[in-house]
Amino acid sequence: MRNGFRQSMAWLHTWSGLIVGWVLFAVFVTGTASYYRTDITRWMQPELRREASLDPDAVARAADLAVAHLQTHAAGARAWFIGLPQPDRPLVDLFWRGRPGTPPNRVFLDPRTGEPAALRDTRGGDFLYRFHFELHLPPLWGRWIVGICAMIMLVALVSGIITHRRIFVDFFTLRRDKAVQRGWLDAHNVTGVLALPFHLMITYTGVITLGLMYMPWGVTAAYKGDMQAFFAETGQVTQPRPAAGRPGTLAPVGPMVRHALATIPEPLERLTVQNPRDANATVIAVFEEPHGLSHEHPQVAFDGTTGAVVEVRAGGLRPAARTFTTMVGLHEAHFAGPALRVLFFLCGLMGTAMVGSGLVLWNVARLPKKGGAPGFGWRLVHGLNVGTVAGLPAAVAAYLLVNRLLPAGLAGRAEWEVRAFFGVWLATTLVAFLPPLRPRLAWSGAMALAALLYLAAAAADVLTARGLWDDPAWFLGFDAVLVLLAAALAVVSRKIVRYEPPRRARKADPVPAPGGRVAAKPRSAGQPAPAMRRETETRLGRA
Amino acid sequence: MTAIVVLLNLGLGLAGLGALRLSLARHHDAVFAVPLARRRALAWRAGGWVAIALSLAVAVRFEGWDFGPVQWLGTLTAAALALVVVLSYHPRLAWWLVVLPLLSSAALLTGLSAGGP
Repeated sequence: MRNGFRQSMAWLHTWSGLIVGWVLFAVFVTGTASYYRTDITRWMQPELRREASLDPDAVARAADLAVAHLQTHAAGARAWFIGLPQPDRPLVDLFWRGRPGTPPNRVFLDPRTGEPAALRDTRGGDFLYRFHFELHLPPLWGRWIVGICAMIMLVALVSGIITHRRIFVDFFTLRRDKAVQRGWLDAHNVTGVLALPFHLMITYTGVITLGLMYMPWGVTAAYKGDMQAFFAETGQVTQPRPAAGRPGTLAPVGPMVRHALATIPEPLERLTVQNPRDANATVIAVFEEPHGLSHEHPQVAFDGTTGAVVEVRAGGLRPAARTFTTMVGLHEAHFAGPALRVLFFLCGLMGTAMVGSGLVLWNVARLPKKGGAPGFGWRLVHGLNVGTVAGLPAAVAAYLLVNRLLPAGLAGRAEWEVRAFFGVWLATTLVAFLPPLRPRLAWSGAMALAALLYLAAAAADVLTARGLWDDPAWFLGFDAVLVLLAAALAVVSRKIVRYEPPRRARKADPVPAPGGRVAAKPRSAGQPAPAMRRETETRLGRA
Repeated sequence: MTAIVVLLNLGLGLAGLGALRLSLARHHDAVFAVPLARRRALAWRAGGWVAIALSLAVAVRFEGWDFGPVQWLGTLTAAALALVVVLSYHPRLAWWLVVLPLLSSAALLTGLSAGGP
């Protein structure tokens, strides 16, 4: 039995979890935060004034102003992306790519005047959202790394389920008064098992979201690698219209916007203008998805020079495409209202806690014997654990804090916010590696730092941005969440300092009857449990 | 509307999972003086599953087959976490964590059926 199936699965779980754990923790933290991506962006731009509603004429006028701006500043671009104003974000959001090698351009306009909007420069929640699947690396690299880690996480999940031999008996068990290792194992099990449907769903659909990038061979074979043709044929985008190669003049987009708004009863999200100076220019109006699990945007395509409707695409996806869009929808949870969103957020936190407790457990299970010094491997994992599990939440807090502290006119302001994020993350990790720092002090110190930063972000908001709030209750609510996070981290920090290992931890509670059946006769309490210790060691992959 | 259904799902989830928890000897014997008899265990278990099934029925009835199961699983997860954490600190509350959610769910359900969807 020493090399049985379960033991090899325990080994697989331990090591597959450890090597990708730090990346997964970062992916979970930023992904969980991304459920509130638009709220984070709103908090980070307190100058923005929301509107009660926007009538079609205002949207059409904003679209015309956007095109006027792009005609002067982005004449050479092959495609323009125009985010249209929404009541809770009344801005025109322009994006275009210049010559290859130059960074893409992004400009925000006031929808009334067409002038650049007077907002502080920030990447807002979009930074955390993109970090979630690109890790702030070149997109291709980041997506591959996150994808491989997610695939390994699926391995860790399945091997973890197999290793956990008493899922049902231990379903509700969280023992805090037994040995340290037992407590961490219980915490890892509880956060893993209770939210298991979420963990399996979010990991699997996460890989599926970028599945065409990881496995492009079907499209390579059937469509000669033409992704757009594949998307069009499966009904996810409108038919691509190649450039004619002759110059053409773009018709006013205002009437097209009005026509699109009259066709589809959803809010109009953005316009895509392809080949804007070509005789075959195309304007595509992309709407928000209708309420439903499936993530599919209705679209209306116009001939750019005549303004005539070329194609209307709304619903009607075939089963395979619909399965795909439903998985993407489940992953992103755009459909979730406030109550359901809190549940998704909570599940995300549990995933974060599962990964974090698993990482800590690796260290706890390998604590050096009394008087012994930890080896290089132990110190490496410990340093990376502190730097990630405590350092990353601290980095997110720093990102929010400097948003309030940096002067509005600073050149490259948005980049400085990102630098603060990575600076705090890196600094926490480096300090955790300092040799004289006792492990427990490193943990409690890093947690206390994170708590202070969240508190400081809330305080800085009240002190510096109070006069800008358009809805004080909303901003105070956001700050209250920051204070709550600070309090939770402070409690953790305090617990680490105060913790005393229980004495006689070996005398554990009685062994439940095999197979989880209810014992017919009362068992004697306080019976020693040699089996449990054996099980703990097996689960930790030391067999 | 959804918020009320979420509350109802949470209540039924708490009651159901709380009952299932009490069908396990380790948790039962920590609260009750009498050791868990097989019949009692089966009764707790049956009651627990009924509450969880009822929660799914409620979710599907008010949110449909697409959102209902998502909401059902989400509320079950939240209820299980609350149960485990609270009872880890206050194991004596086990009985109350079945009865109180059950009563409030019953009240909510009556209100919902009276109001109609």
